[in-house]
Amino acid sequence: MDEIRALAACSAAELGERLAVLPGALLAAGADVHDLQPLAGRFAVDGETLCFLPRFPFVDGMSYALLVGVASREVHTIERPLPAAASTTDAVAIYPSAGVIPLNQLKLYVHFSGPMSEGWAARGVQVRRADDGAPLAGVFLPTETELWDREHRRLTLLLDPGRIKRGLVPNAEAGYPLSEGVPVVVSVDRAFRDAAGRPLRAGLARRYQVGPPLRRRIDPRAWRLDAPRAGTTEPLTVTFDRPLDHALLGRCLWLHDAAGTPLEGRATLRAGECGWQFTPAAPWAAGRHSLIVDPRLEDLAGNTLHRVFDRDLTRDAEAPAEPHPIAIAFTCEGLAEQAVACKFSQGRAR
Amino acid sequence: MTTQAVAQAANRYGLAVGTPEIRSIGPVGFGPEGILFFADNAQASIFAVALDDDAAPAARPLAVEQLDTRLAAYLGCAPEDVSIRGMAVHPLVQTVYLAVQRGSGDAALPALIRVAGDGSLSVVSLEQAPFARLSLDDAPAADDPRQEVRVVPIDGPDGELIEPRSGFRLRIARDSLRTVTVTDLAYVDGLLLVAGACNEEFSSALRRIPFPFTGETRTNSIEIYHVSHGRYETASPIRTFVPFGGNTSLLASYTCTPIVQFSLQDLASGTLLKGRTVAELGAGNTPIDMIAYTDAGQEYLLVSNARHPLMKIPCAAIAGQEGLTQPREPVGVPRETLPHEGVGLMAARGDGEVLMLQRDAEGRHLRSYGSASL
Repeated sequence: MDEIRALAACSAAELGERLAVLPGALLAAGADVHDLQPLAGRFAVDGETLCFLPRFPFVDGMSYALLVGVASREVHTIERPLPAAASTTDAVAIYPSAGVIPLNQLKLYVHFSGPMSEGWAARGVQVRRADDGAPLAGVFLPTETELWDREHRRLTLLLDPGRIKRGLVPNAEAGYPLSEGVPVVVSVDRAFRDAAGRPLRAGLARRYQVGPPLRRRIDPRAWRLDAPRAGTTEPLTVTFDRPLDHALLGRCLWLHDAAGTPLEGRATLRAGECGWQFTPAAPWAAGRHSLIVDPRLEDLAGNTLHRVFDRDLTRDAEAPAEPHPIAIAFTCEGLAEQAVACKFSQGRAR
Repeated sequence: MTTQAVAQAANRYGLAVGTPEIRSIGPVGFGPEGILFFADNAQASIFAVALDDDAAPAARPLAVEQLDTRLAAYLGCAPEDVSIRGMAVHPLVQTVYLAVQRGSGDAALPALIRVAGDGSLSVVSLEQAPFARLSLDDAPAADDPRQEVRVVPIDGPDGELIEPRSGFRLRIARDSLRTVTVTDLAYVDGLLLVAGACNEEFSSALRRIPFPFTGETRTNSIEIYHVSHGRYETASPIRTFVPFGGNTSLLASYTCTPIVQFSLQDLASGTLLKGRTVAELGAGNTPIDMIAYTDAGQEYLLVSNARHPLMKIPCAAIAGQEGLTQPREPVGVPRETLPHEGVGLMAARGDGEVLMLQRDAEGRHLRSYGSASL
């Protein structure tokens, strides 16, 4: 107590010279305490109490050492307990949900039930051969900053594009990340940490067959639209020419009425991302409607409406189109009509 | 810079005094008159802050061994919880600034750290600092058909109510899952150039943002294509880039490894640009950082890599390099391999010095090299 009372007479600068706080782990590792700048913060003496107010909050699960004295330093260590670590977060889905992915598959999405920590993507998601369990190396593009949504509940993983693209040295040297005909299992490790630093309740895995590479522009002319009847709230059902990117489907399709006004309603994806359904909030009006397709929509291999992912300049079929939204018109016939018609025409969206 | 000079710069560039609320920090880069730009990827924003730094020209060389241990001691965490997301040198007083992230998840904290000439660290307070913020969210124009929105129930709690035409109301929600992660930024003649990777579409868009920020949330961007060996045309997110040649050219590295050059004049117009592949690195390698520096009147570029050694390219050689037409190794522009190991982020400090963050078994170190020694 006398020591602390004596400190009360010291200026802030003198307190800083006589006292220091350092992470206990650094001292235990043999760091030179005279060489390190101590924790940012300031000391204050209040009666018989000495306080250290850190510039940044203390970290749970760390120990901190108070060093007293200038030449020979007396050490007092305090532990910050780690809160009870009951897991509450799950990995809930891996996309695509199609059973077969192309050899040049570009992206995977992992959805979690709660916010996650960064820094685990490279070690927390693995790809193995389904037959012998051998891990595949270098499948994903290493990135310093991981690709998360704002809430840190969905992780985007890019398969190494240098290995996927034709004509690049990584493709020539290391080949594709996947092998055609060799099924793989993508697994999310239970050790992946949520935002509170806790592991997942359980891991998650999805198995894929690997098919041939896919290098054609998405072709909405090959989609099938099953038009609903006017006066009902039956869904419009769209069947794609191939599975499409799960994330982009969430915002690249929408509907306009005859006046070009977006329709209110609820969109859902069909299993395997091979189709889309839209249920309107109000019954369909009779007449013409349009399904609008944003040109940024991608398939599993990153091909879009207007370009092939890695375009072969010698093939006319791979020539790019103008990146405009496309409108696919369909007509909702009245209930009195016996036949339900889908008059399909396609044009550039207004 | 004196406090008065900072106030004048703030006034000139439309910065208002306040306390920016930041959730993450980095990459960073300096703009005009000591204004620091940094990305806050957690909030999809770019901040511009006028820094009040009137240090005397700092001693050279600057060296800080075991920088990560020092940062851990100073920030009160374990060395493995220190992530250095950016490094920039104040162009007027040569002080080094680091964008540091402490921890992850709920415990993550961003810090802007100033490294003084003697190697001592200090947290830069952003309280009552002149700043401006630009959101990178693409808020679509009302007549843009490519609306990144979804229509939600009119009486629901989500989204915002809009009235696209008189008497017709809709409730729309901005898509909340799409984000753009800034991977590099640089200020060039009134424009802030920003490269980023999207977590949804595989885009090579490079944003051109006028500075002072105009308040327009939809920024102008350009898609940059490159051709592999004269046969395959492809686009990919740009990871890192550097202006050179008196701001006439840009050298950019892509996530799929080619290093591509294009003219900044071409960048000024249009929305589509084809770059020229001047070098290609091999499999498993990722370019980390690129800088330009001068030595004996010649300009050089350094490219640090995750797997390959540090690469030095004379800028004069780039102009004479034909676009690559044959895959071969080594490929592309004449270049040297330098012996510096474990190099990550880099920064030129004045005309004669290059700073490198180097990693070895002991940790990460900030080391200084004379330009002539490279």
